[in-house]
Amino acid sequence: MNSINRLYIVLILTIFISILYLYHSVSDIHDKMVNNIEKIFILKAGQFAKNIDEEIKNHIDKDLYKTLKENPGLREVLEHTFSVVITPSFKYIYVLYKDSNGKYRYLLDGSKEDKGEFNQKLNVNEEKWDQAYNTLKPQIILQKNIDGLWITYLKPIIYDNRVEGVIAIDFSTNLSIYISKLIAPIQNVFLYIFAAIVVLLSVLLYQVILNIKTKKESITDSLTQVYNRTFLRDFLKKIHPEKYQIAMLDIDFFKKINDNYGHKAGDYILSEVAIILKKIVREKDIIIRFGGEEFLIFFYKLPNDEDIAASISHRIREELENSKFVYDDTSIKVTTSIGVMLHPQRCKSVSDAIKKADQLLYIAKKEGRNKVVLEYDAIKAISTETNSIYEVKEALDDNRIICHYQPIINLDSCEVVKYEALVRMVSKDGTIIYPNNFLDAISGTNVYNDLTKRVIDIAFETIKKEKVSLSINLNLSDILNNMIYKIVIDEIVQNKEVAKWLTIELLEYEQLNTDILKQRLYEIKSYGIKIALDDFGSGYSNFAIFQSYPIDILKIDGSLIKEIDSSKVSYTIIESIALFSRKLEIETVAEFIHNDKVLKIIKDLGISYGQGFYIGEPVEKIVERKNETIDA
Amino acid sequence: MKKIIFLLLALTIMSWSSALQTQREIYKTILGAIFPNKHTIYIWLDDPNKRDIFSDIKNIKIVTNRENADILIVYHTFDINATDKKIFADGYLVFKHYKEKIIGGFYWQKGRPNLVFIRKNLEDFNISLPKNLKEFIEDNF
Repeated sequence: MNSINRLYIVLILTIFISILYLYHSVSDIHDKMVNNIEKIFILKAGQFAKNIDEEIKNHIDKDLYKTLKENPGLREVLEHTFSVVITPSFKYIYVLYKDSNGKYRYLLDGSKEDKGEFNQKLNVNEEKWDQAYNTLKPQIILQKNIDGLWITYLKPIIYDNRVEGVIAIDFSTNLSIYISKLIAPIQNVFLYIFAAIVVLLSVLLYQVILNIKTKKESITDSLTQVYNRTFLRDFLKKIHPEKYQIAMLDIDFFKKINDNYGHKAGDYILSEVAIILKKIVREKDIIIRFGGEEFLIFFYKLPNDEDIAASISHRIREELENSKFVYDDTSIKVTTSIGVMLHPQRCKSVSDAIKKADQLLYIAKKEGRNKVVLEYDAIKAISTETNSIYEVKEALDDNRIICHYQPIINLDSCEVVKYEALVRMVSKDGTIIYPNNFLDAISGTNVYNDLTKRVIDIAFETIKKEKVSLSINLNLSDILNNMIYKIVIDEIVQNKEVAKWLTIELLEYEQLNTDILKQRLYEIKSYGIKIALDDFGSGYSNFAIFQSYPIDILKIDGSLIKEIDSSKVSYTIIESIALFSRKLEIETVAEFIHNDKVLKIIKDLGISYGQGFYIGEPVEKIVERKNETIDA
Repeated sequence: MKKIIFLLLALTIMSWSSALQTQREIYKTILGAIFPNKHTIYIWLDDPNKRDIFSDIKNIKIVTNRENADILIVYHTFDINATDKKIFADGYLVFKHYKEKIIGGFYWQKGRPNLVFIRKNLEDFNISLPKNLKEFIEDNF
């Protein structure tokens, strides 16, 4: 709240309190005036009663009832005397006595109307009259109604310390009503101002509530009703890392849920998962929707409770695994991977701690998903694999992913016919890092997908620029992976005019899928792209593959080539492959040609193309070697 | 019992409640006490303006012919002589006028409601009032 708003509030509150004070003061003045009027009348009534008492005692010195009963003339005289002080305010002046049955009856009545007769019973407020009898002291009966004030003043007539009758003076006044009517407009003014301020404060309160609500909405994810990244931005400024442990949670195979059941099902799963998270975490823990299916949880850490994040994270994993998610009558299985950073305070910043938690999450995913990976479980792994993930990620962001190109020559003409594009990462200090140092670490992650896209991008850019044929390497699993395949096809479609210059070399084809693979390979080939089988002749190589799949090129495994000059078995295998290829009119490439002798053997076997360090090392620039030939 | 408590309370704090409502409750109690076993009590009034007091009381019917009434409620008629009907006076002057023959009366004096039953006349009509109304019975007036 800024200072201007504070000032407004203080000002309004000051006015509010002042009005309240003034209203209270006016009411107080009113009450005091009414009280004073009462006092004046009571004082006056007391003086009248005292005079009447004296007058009675002047005429009667004992036995009040008996004397008055026997002397009607005296009653008349006294009543006449009383009537002298009767006014519109002092309306009734009379004397009652209490008979043996406790009933009050007239002795005298000086009233000019409603006059009672001697010994006639009058219904009175017996409690107060009895008090006058018992205490020997004057009593006041006070009643207020809409017509004004109505008071009965009672004074006991005492003979020999015994009450023989009670003088009653009934008087009324509407002065208090008159004062109330006079003061009412002033009170009303204050009341109206007061009401106006209440309305104003209500509007302000409404605005404040609205403001809070809007602010809350702006920091809340509308789908899951947990905090969003806007909240995280502010939270990071205020957080004390030592008070929290941080977990990064990701729903496993969430994309499959979206792909298989639709985005609505995905949204449903997200909101249900959020409900479960909220149910499990404690009030002081904070859940943030970090990305699509990623949640960040800040576990509030009590002193000496280092295990809290770990235990709750395990509970979350178990709960999600055991929960039943049913969408549109379809039961969907959901598991989660969680990375838990136990000591965020050891990181450079909270952002860094979040990054570390994310790395732990990647480990959980790499280790088979549905797993919680804690900081101390994974320290070693972080230092190797997950660092690689982030290094590759950074390299992609910094354009430090490049390709080196190794020539493939026609062994007859000795001309370079194609280059194999080989991915390299350039470290921040300029060192070239080979793919065997980072590909395993990023396998199965989004970074791998991004890297694949980048390599295809580079390949097509090079084809366009250098006007050469290029081959790139893809795993067979990449073709079978929906997401990667889409990336590949999108890239091909975007560059279809040069697609025929591209060859895709397939690796790791031990697990051949059936129709999908066939269909996809044909689709790729429909753009003019050639398909090559890499590393053929070892491992799971199987000639049957040529029956079903459209293979254009066969690259003989390097381990066989290396030994061709020393191993008869290797020689025979290569000879068989070469014969087989020739029969099927499949182009053959021999890799790993490392010396002149090997090159000669290869050529003698009728293998069309060759590649290897002896022919040409992979280099960054193509232009220098485009027209080179090998002297065979 | 509740009605009687209300009656005593009403006599004490009369000025705090509606006069009409108070009179209605008082008459309801009084007539119920005078005719404890009668299902419908027929009353005659000499003042048509007072019908409002009785019209809403259950079990009470107002009649215009004095002869059909169980009791006469008299406000300002001073010439009811030859009758064997029970009379109840409302007003001090009329109460005084018929004090030899009425069973009781109700009147206001000095802003206070007063209820009086005359013992001799109650006995003449063989009326026994409930215990809580006995304190309003006067031997003489």
